[in-house]
Amino acid sequence: MSGTATAAGDTVPGPKGGPRTAASGDGARAPRGPRPGRTALFLLAPGALALLFTYAMPLVWVVRMALNEPLDGGAIRQTLTFGTFTQVLRDGHYWKVIGQTLQLGVLVTVFTLLLAYPVALFLARTTSRWRSLLMALAVAPLLISSVARTFGWMAILGNQGLINKTLQALALTDGPLPLANNMTGVVIASVEIYMPFAILAMISGFGRLEPELERAAASLGANRLAVLRRVVLPLTLPGVLTAALLVFVLSLSGYVTPRLIGGGRVFVLATEIYDEAITSLNWPVAAVLSVLLLVLFGIVIVLYQRAQRALERRFTGEKGASR
Amino acid sequence: MAEPTAPAAATPAAGGSPAGHLTLEGLTKTYPGQHGAAVRGIDLSVERGSMLAVLGPSGCGKSTTLRMIAGLVAPTAGRVLVDGRDITGIPVHRRDMGMVFQSYALFPHLDVARNVAFGLEMRKVSRSERARRVAEALDLVRLGHLADRRIAQLSGGQQQRVALARALVVRPTLLLLDEPLSNLDAQLRGEMRDEIRRIQQETGITAVFVTHDQHEALSMADRVAVLAQGRLEQIGTPEDVYERPAGRFVARFVGRANLIEGTVAGADGPRTVVELPGVGRVSALGEPRPAGARAAVLLRPHRIALAPATADGPAAGVPDGSSAAPLRGTVLSAGYSGESLAYRIRVGAAGPVLDVERPAGPEATHAPGTEVLLTWDASAARLVDAAEDDRAGADSAPGAADAVPAAAAPHGVTP
Repeated sequence: MSGTATAAGDTVPGPKGGPRTAASGDGARAPRGPRPGRTALFLLAPGALALLFTYAMPLVWVVRMALNEPLDGGAIRQTLTFGTFTQVLRDGHYWKVIGQTLQLGVLVTVFTLLLAYPVALFLARTTSRWRSLLMALAVAPLLISSVARTFGWMAILGNQGLINKTLQALALTDGPLPLANNMTGVVIASVEIYMPFAILAMISGFGRLEPELERAAASLGANRLAVLRRVVLPLTLPGVLTAALLVFVLSLSGYVTPRLIGGGRVFVLATEIYDEAITSLNWPVAAVLSVLLLVLFGIVIVLYQRAQRALERRFTGEKGASR
Repeated sequence: MAEPTAPAAATPAAGGSPAGHLTLEGLTKTYPGQHGAAVRGIDLSVERGSMLAVLGPSGCGKSTTLRMIAGLVAPTAGRVLVDGRDITGIPVHRRDMGMVFQSYALFPHLDVARNVAFGLEMRKVSRSERARRVAEALDLVRLGHLADRRIAQLSGGQQQRVALARALVVRPTLLLLDEPLSNLDAQLRGEMRDEIRRIQQETGITAVFVTHDQHEALSMADRVAVLAQGRLEQIGTPEDVYERPAGRFVARFVGRANLIEGTVAGADGPRTVVELPGVGRVSALGEPRPAGARAAVLLRPHRIALAPATADGPAAGVPDGSSAAPLRGTVLSAGYSGESLAYRIRVGAAGPVLDVERPAGPEATHAPGTEVLLTWDASAARLVDAAEDDRAGADSAPGAADAVPAAAAPHGVTP
């Protein structure tokens, strides 16, 4: 999504007022913490500038584009209207896309968490001397581009793929199972692709899990299931929550896997934005969809922060929520 | 909690067990890949309703021993018996032991009351009964007013009390405490020491606690087991262990000690006379040894009395007759610590250096360089092994560190 915006940003210069507002917004945040010294500001400058040009400006440009009116044949009328928003929100097709995006996000998040949790728990608790190696193995898939991994999944899940050929050779199924070119395939591949992220996020959030607490629970009469349910699970919840946020956001914006494995039959916001911008040349609609995706992210992040704060209060017992 | 014993799950073996409530038989733990055993064949028993302190330096296997009793560590060999019943194979969660961990190991996601209620919930105790017993346990540790606090909001001492309440509320067969006071500051430690002792006596529970602190062990326990390098060096009452140490290690680890090396010269009734180089002949109590054997005499710093050496004979107030003839010594240093004065005194011209501790106040202070007379009560000198069979590696004993120079000095004098 942001890639599209950046590429387009080169051709149309953004409105002058936009970047400055974003910049002053960044500047206003600084005095909140301890006052940064001259060196700190100097060191922050390159990153801040890079963010300004690659993130803030294109973002403002996308919002601006969403307020334009699309004309036939890819032409755009510069104006300030919510007409495109109304047009998109009135169209049932886009609601279906949004629904499918959320459905994919929820399914992928649930299955990724279910599969990653035991791995993360094992890696966090093991005292084996192979621990570093196992950690490296768990995140090794990140070394391979997700495009390559998606192609790998196509070879496995397709009608002529490994699974279907094996099943048919064993005469277990009559025809090929529909594992690719649909939601099932996209979920399977996405889960595998996001698992390393989930594992890393979980482990980093498992700091409260101390082996002594499990021993204490056992000494009080808790069997292994009770220890898991009453001690391990509550203490690892912050890590699970962080992983959930990460995976959900990643899969909401995921493009490669839905496009390749979906086989043109799974419509999500990311693929739809691409189609509108590149195929239909309807930039205002693409921009509106991008803004809608951003709004979704915003909602998700607010929900996450609330949940995280509620969890934090459970540990500290402080009533007032602080940032 | 109010009713003393009545352990929930312990099924007393027929015929009872005069041996004790808890018995360890040849308990051994060897960790794979580790040189030597962590715990080597420990045999001991704890009487019902009494408190045993397992005392030893770090790495002596005391925590491992406690964890084997709790079921958290599986022994390599040996048995753990409760009321004569072998529980070695029973997993932790069915052992019915109340354990207080060094780090307290309180559940950070639960409030104080829920922490205490945890064991009751695991035992499926009804809600009303649970509430009653949690309140009772919190009252016992004087924390009734903090029931709805989070663990993070409690001080170290309060956390310690919650940990105690949580372990006791289930009315366990045994109360096990792993270094219960080590995470508290000095003042709280004294307070909790009395508190734990009070609670143990009030509930009449059989308790085992592990510590590296001899003061804790001596002041809290009915019996003290001293461990060194995985072996049980001695088990006895605090007086036994302190006054009649079984060996050099115990002598130096429990309390401060002057150990003066020498040769057995003969017997004097029940006493043994030892020739100490630079000191002379000293008679000591202890297991008799043949003449010519190497041995050491133990003198506790506070059992040595001092008097100014200006007078011709021993000064007034120093017990005479029952002790050896007064020794002459030179004060090397005098350290004031409020309650007492710690002297280092060289005996004779080139004799051993002794640690002497005198209460500050009533006696005149002996300045460094002055000559003093040293005397001690007949019962103060104890015979222990010489340094050759120092198998316990007393160098690892922190409590003995300050006494080492005194014990080491004679080496230079002995032929």
